[in-house]
Formats: sequence, C-alpha cells, structure tokens
Amino acid sequence: MLNWEELQESSFLESNARERAKGLVDKGSFVELLNPRDRFHSPHLPVLGEAIALDDGIVVGIGKIGIRPVFVISQEGRFIGGSLGEVSGAKMAYTIKLGLETLERIKEKYPESWEERRPTVVISFETGGVRLHEANAGLLAHAEVMDIIQDARKKIPIISLIGSKLGCFGGMGFVAAATDVIIMSEFGRLGLTGPEVIEQEMGKDEFDASNRAMVYRTTGGRHKYILGDSNYLVQDKINAFREKIQEVVHLPFDQIEQYRRIGSLQNVLQQMELINEALEINPNDAIDVWGFYGNENPETLLDLSFDQFMQKAVRREIR
Amino acid sequence: MALHEINYQLLIENPKKIRKEWAHIGVVGSGDLEVLMERKDLNGAVQVKVVTPVTGFDFIWNRVLESFITENQLGDLLIEINDNNATPIVVSIRLAQALAEANRVEEEEI
Repeated sequence: MLNWEELQESSFLESNARERAKGLVDKGSFVELLNPRDRFHSPHLPVLGEAIALDDGIVVGIGKIGIRPVFVISQEGRFIGGSLGEVSGAKMAYTIKLGLETLERIKEKYPESWEERRPTVVISFETGGVRLHEANAGLLAHAEVMDIIQDARKKIPIISLIGSKLGCFGGMGFVAAATDVIIMSEFGRLGLTGPEVIEQEMGKDEFDASNRAMVYRTTGGRHKYILGDSNYLVQDKINAFREKIQEVVHLPFDQIEQYRRIGSLQNVLQQMELINEALEINPNDAIDVWGFYGNENPETLLDLSFDQFMQKAVRREIR
Repeated sequence: MALHEINYQLLIENPKKIRKEWAHIGVVGSGDLEVLMERKDLNGAVQVKVVTPVTGFDFIWNRVLESFITENQLGDLLIEINDNNATPIVVSIRLAQALAEANRVEEEEI
C-alpha cells in the first residue's frame, strides 16, 4: 500500500476503499475496525456460491483531524458493485453509532471544551445500493443507516464523499441525500435510479446509458454542484477531499443545517420549488438547466478545466 | 453450488518468517482476489486456504502456491485467499504484492 504522502497526491477515483480511508485523515492516525484479519464476511454469499471478501466490501475505522476523532466509512466498488449487505450495512450503521457514543464520552470527559473535540463521520460512497443476494437484510441495513443518521442530526456532522468510479446510486443515493454535507469531485456521480436501469425501464429514447458524456452531464459532479445537490466540488485528489473535510469539521451546526437536503419544512418547500422549476424548464438536457440558472452559453461549461469551471459556473440559488 | 475451498500445506527446508505480524492486499473484484498473510507457529510449514467459486483447477492452485512458497522460502505462515475467478498470473502477482507488504519496513522503524 502507498504511504500517506503518496496517497495525498493519488487520484481519489482510482484508489481503493482502504487507501481512501487511510488518506482522508491525519497522517498515521487511521485505525481500521473489523479489519480483514477479523474475517467478518457475509454469511449469505457462500451458500449461493458467490465469492466473499474478508471486509465484506467496506472499510470502517477511526482517524483524527487535529484533535477531532473522525469515523471513516469507505465502500469498495469492485466487490459486488459496492453493494450493501447485512454485514457491510451493520459495519456502516454501527460506525456512525460509535461516533454518537464517542460524542457522549467526550462531553463527559471535556465538559468545557467538547465542542472543539466534536467527532465527525465521513462516508465515501462507491455503490449501486442494496446487495440483491441479501435483499431484505440489505434493505433493512439501508433503513437502519438512515435512522442512525437522523439520530446523529445536530450532534455529529455526517459528510458524504462521492468521487469514486461507480458513484452513488440506488438506495445509497437516498442515504447520501440524508447526510449533512455532500462533497463531490467532477468524476463522482449521484442519483437514485442508475443510467442502465432507466434505459431498461424507459427505453433508449428516454435515457441512453451508452452515451457516457450525457450520463456524466446528468449525474456527474459538475451538474450536481450547479443544482446544489452537492455542497462542494473538489478536484480528484485524496488531498482535495481531505482538505475540504478539514474545513467542514469546524463549521457550527447552524451552518451545517443549511447544507441539508431533507429534514425540515423549509427543505421540503425548497424541493417542491425545484419541481416547479423543472416543469418550467422542461429540459431536454442538463445544459438547459444550467442555462436557466444563469449560465450564459451553458454548453461552454463542459470543456472548461476544473479551475475555470469553478470561476464561471453559476449555481442555483437556494431560496 | 456452495463455495469451493482448497486447503494446501507445504513444509520446505530453511523457511523464513515474514517480517510483519500480518498483511493484507487486494480486492475481491471480478477476475481478482485478496490475500491475507499471517505469521503463525506451524512448525515451519505454510498453510494455505483458498476460497473460490471455481472448481476443477485445484492442481493449478497447488502448482502456483508451491512455486511461490519454495521460491520465497516461506514458513510459519498462514495464507488465506478469497478469489473471484482470477487467472494464475494474477494470483502470482497478488501473492508477490502481499509478501512485499508483509516484509515492508514501516516508516516508524527507520
């Protein structure tokens, strides 16, 4: 495995789950919980004759950013499409729970200064959602994670990172939307129904999954940033994600609450407003949407470099 | 239909132990595998457990493992492999990577 310094300059997209987890926190601070040596794999897959992984396709652990504990959850897309099963789901849910318990212990131990030691949870998504081999257990795991995310609200911030090859789709798209802050790279993709499934159900005229450029225009980081689904857009480096997390962990909860997509009447009204706008625009392509939100010659945004895009792009104002 | 398990054991002359207590490398992606190596007192032997969906290739696994263990003179070692249809050359590369990781000198030690 690359050392921490090498990881910082590595592409987030091309790294594996364990490398991302190690590189996202302070140097030498990452400790993996339920590591491969614990052999905590799925009990369902062997029965079906499917290959198993010692970590069930998810890396969880604890690291530090400054004096703050950071609970890291990192999905591995190459193992059964990063799908969430019973074991990987439990690892995800209980890592967040551990974050909440840690907050209570910190409050007890540092009644004066607990706020500057407030823990954070970071989830790197690389998944198509539920693992169909373990369907019910996997779906329950989704529900459990969302439930714990609600418990964590206004207690510990939960930050989503989306910059992996697979992106974040299916049930996990809902989970990402339920977190406090979403950080994406331009190669990250976020959605509910994946491109291939839309094509299968609605036909090629509706959505051509083989049109990669269109898929990225519609689900990719740049579009999600303009639309406000993603709170931040960063470059495809582990370093870039780590620096952004570093910035977010210090934010007060009033501000973090404003980044949320769901969970309040105001959020619901905003989402309804977005539906009205969609009816008004009646878009044929994501480019129409960019134009509507005030980008002149929106098609030129496509070919800009990251820095130029960040300067030029006009984002949807959240009312 | 259940997963296929291959258990293999080999004792060679003058075996060497790995430097670290344990090491892990690889992802069980399609055509790929993960390798876990653990130092274990086995009276100098190497014990291997392979879990794979593929059947009928046990003799190739045995040959790849035998050449790997003899070439690197390994002993007192537990190797666990979770495979997902990897070819023998991929298996050899991952074994070599796992061994490199198991013998790597950590920065703190320097």
